Amino acid sequence: MRYADFTPYDIVLLLQGLGVTLALFIGTTLIGLTIGLLLAVVHHYRVPGCRPVIVLVTEALKNSPVLVQLFLVFFGIPAFLHIRMTPVEAATLTISLNTAAFAFVVFRSGIESVDRDQIEAAEVFGLGRSQILRLVIAPQAAAFSVGPLVGILVNQLQVTSLISVIGVFDLTKIGNILNLRTLQPFIVWAVIGLIYYLAAKTLAHAGGRIEAALRRSVKWGGI
Amino acid sequence: MIVAENVEKRFGDALVLKRVNLRVEPGEVVTILGASGSGKSTLIRCINGLEALTGGRITVDGHDVSTKAGLVAARRASATVFQLFNLYPHMTALGNITLAPIEVLKLPKAEAEARARALLDKVGLGAQADAYPQQLSGGQRQRVGICRALAMQPRYLLLDEVTSALDPEMTGDVLRILAELAADGTTMVFVTHEIEFARHISSRIVFLEQGELIVDLPTAAFFAEDGGLAVPRIRQFLSKMKKD
Ligand SMILES: Nc1ncnc2c1ncn2[C@@H]1O[C@H](COP(=O)(O)OP(=O)(O)OP(=O)(O)O)[C@@H](O)[C@H]1O
Ligand SMILES: [Mg+2]
Repeated sequence: MRYADFTPYDIVLLLQGLGVTLALFIGTTLIGLTIGLLLAVVHHYRVPGCRPVIVLVTEALKNSPVLVQLFLVFFGIPAFLHIRMTPVEAATLTISLNTAAFAFVVFRSGIESVDRDQIEAAEVFGLGRSQILRLVIAPQAAAFSVGPLVGILVNQLQVTSLISVIGVFDLTKIGNILNLRTLQPFIVWAVIGLIYYLAAKTLAHAGGRIEAALRRSVKWGGI
Repeated sequence: MIVAENVEKRFGDALVLKRVNLRVEPGEVVTILGASGSGKSTLIRCINGLEALTGGRITVDGHDVSTKAGLVAARRASATVFQLFNLYPHMTALGNITLAPIEVLKLPKAEAEARARALLDKVGLGAQADAYPQQLSGGQRQRVGICRALAMQPRYLLLDEVTSALDPEMTGDVLRILAELAADGTTMVFVTHEIEFARHISSRIVFLEQGELIVDLPTAAFFAEDGGLAVPRIRQFLSKMKKD
């Protein structure tokens, strides 16, 4: 057996890479959705001075290459602030903020999709702002947001492949390693691509099920 | 008592309410008539605090709606029924009716629901408690809207063209309920284009003309030849409404 041959251990490597990719994806998704939601709530409450800042930052994050953001965070910020940052930290920070920017836009549209009329009715009946947000706006905004969010997350899963560039041992990085060793780029990248595809399909499928469940439990046909 | 003193409302350059004075005593049914755009909805929206006054003062049982605490108290005292129902689409009829009693009046859920069911029974919707607004006809939705208002046990009911989005048959259902409420002594401020009905249930009728309240008369006097009908603008308005 030549050193360059595929070995059964490569499967373990691939699974490890997939594990890193998924862990990073899940972590950044949780952080990103939380920050995105907070931003949408702050935006909704018109906290003085916050709206333009939020819009500016999220627009910048949405409209610049994630790879450039990653370089800025991994190389730029440590140099500027004289701090150390590991590849995993830089990757987590960058992808989380990027997801937050896209999630913010979805949550904001979800909140704004709720009729002004109903909100006025709730106000007149004496409900406070947070009661209205929680009881009238949130359920409708959530139903509105699930579909677009799943789309965004499927995309963000692919985006995580960029973090291999700064040396995180994710699925793509493993692909790189296997490719360099075996010199079989066609097979290696086809397999890596297939794994991403299957992960994305699973995610989309799960999202579809959540949406369907929401549709069933929420009978008002608002989705 | 609802008291509006010299109420003025401006939208930009447009002066929509001009020094409007109005008093509504408990037990009265006051109908606001006026052409489209005369400011009827705006006046209602000033009373329930959806629009801020640009001049004058409105108090509900002495609570000034221009102050934060006053508005909270004023909103406890009154309840609004809307032209387009404004129901919460993600909640059942029961959920729509019990939301504010549970969240604002802090009633226990079971008690709020029992009250809501009794109200639904009263308006003939006992079987629709668990239906969503989407599953109800316009007339049924408006009856839910009325129950939602009544569930707050308001001293004053504000109604802005509550039947104008309904077809005649459904209008009849809703008006019958309002007539019962009036007969029970519910205090109402009522905006409508249903002249005959207004004549039937109102104790007083006021007429808005381009933001000015030009006539305020007891119902009989409003329709008398030497009363409201002596005002050319009102005669013209009423004869036009009859034709439509
Ligand atoms: N939010 C607003 N901004 C600007 N102008 C407004 C606003 N709301 C109402 N207006 C204007 O104020 C005037 C009075 O409107 P209002 O809705 O009170 O009339 P109305 O008597 O209720 O009419 P209708 O019978 O058609 O319901 C209209 O000229 C309208 O265009
Ligand atoms: Mg109106």
